[in-house]
Amino acid sequence: MRELRIAAVGDVHLDESLRGRYRVHLRDIGEHADVLLLAGDLTRHGTLEEARVVADEFRDLPVPVVAVLGNHDHHSNHPAEIAAMLSEVGIKVLHDEAVVLDVDGARLGVVGGKGFGGGYAGKCASDFGEPEIKAFVGHTKRIADRWRVALKELDADRRIVLSHYSPVKDTLIGEPLEIYPFLGSYLLAEAVDAEGADLIVHGHAHAGTERGVTPGGIRVRNVALPVLGRAYGLYRL
Amino acid sequence: MEAPQYVAARVQSALAEDERTHELGIRVDVRGGQLFLRGRVTGEERRLLIADVAREAAPGLTVRNEIVVMEVRDPEPGQEETL
Ligand SMILES: [Fe+2]
Ligand SMILES: [Fe+2]
Repeated sequence: MRELRIAAVGDVHLDESLRGRYRVHLRDIGEHADVLLLAGDLTRHGTLEEARVVADEFRDLPVPVVAVLGNHDHHSNHPAEIAAMLSEVGIKVLHDEAVVLDVDGARLGVVGGKGFGGGYAGKCASDFGEPEIKAFVGHTKRIADRWRVALKELDADRRIVLSHYSPVKDTLIGEPLEIYPFLGSYLLAEAVDAEGADLIVHGHAHAGTERGVTPGGIRVRNVALPVLGRAYGLYRL
Repeated sequence: MEAPQYVAARVQSALAEDERTHELGIRVDVRGGQLFLRGRVTGEERRLLIADVAREAAPGLTVRNEIVVMEVRDPEPGQEETL
């Protein structure tokens, strides 16, 4: 089976003032990549006007586009409408589920979702105490469980997990330690390690670091645009 | 006088919650009567807007806008990684 070329970027945070400014960097993407993954925070405020800009920037590309939403895309309480607008232009938006793409006969499986926070093993919030804390931790737990099921059922030659929040601390280096619990959760990594994947990509940590690895040895890449400094990261699997 | 830590926290919240910015990635420090802003954004207008919102949340402090405007580059050959 031939190598698959994965392009990935997150945190483009588009709004009307940036219309067309990202798309210029996508003109050769068909020569570089087989698929483009968008790791959430596609908008600034999560408005439908901004989502329209996102749809226009990423429509009609020569490669399939798979996306998850980020916390900014939820800010105006319209995540479902935003996802629908992106779907209309052919972008596959994952909400704790899988898609399998056929790339010249190779099956590329992507399991994706927003993810959530809570912190990292030994220094994290636990499912205990006030309902507010339980709701916070429970949200992450449910997401991790859904990823586990999606990965278990996934039948593909290559497996990628696409998240907004970070499953590991490695890719947060550069961020203040105090905010780690709001940047991701080890529960996400634990679920992926249990079922296996070839790569995890995420965004959200704008001041973090590109390269990391899960406790189980799966490579993790933080593709937040400010981390990359280039229009997208390119990874061969 | 209000402790500098509280002023910094108020500016940080203003940047996150003000609908003109909704910016979570800027580092805010109050040192020696000055307000330091650091981080990376995608355009000069945004850099200036963040300083405006910060100034409104901390009147009386000199704002040192050390935010850097990030130019997005095309991906270059050789920057791709084989896993
Ligand atoms: Fe972001
Ligand atoms: Fe985010």
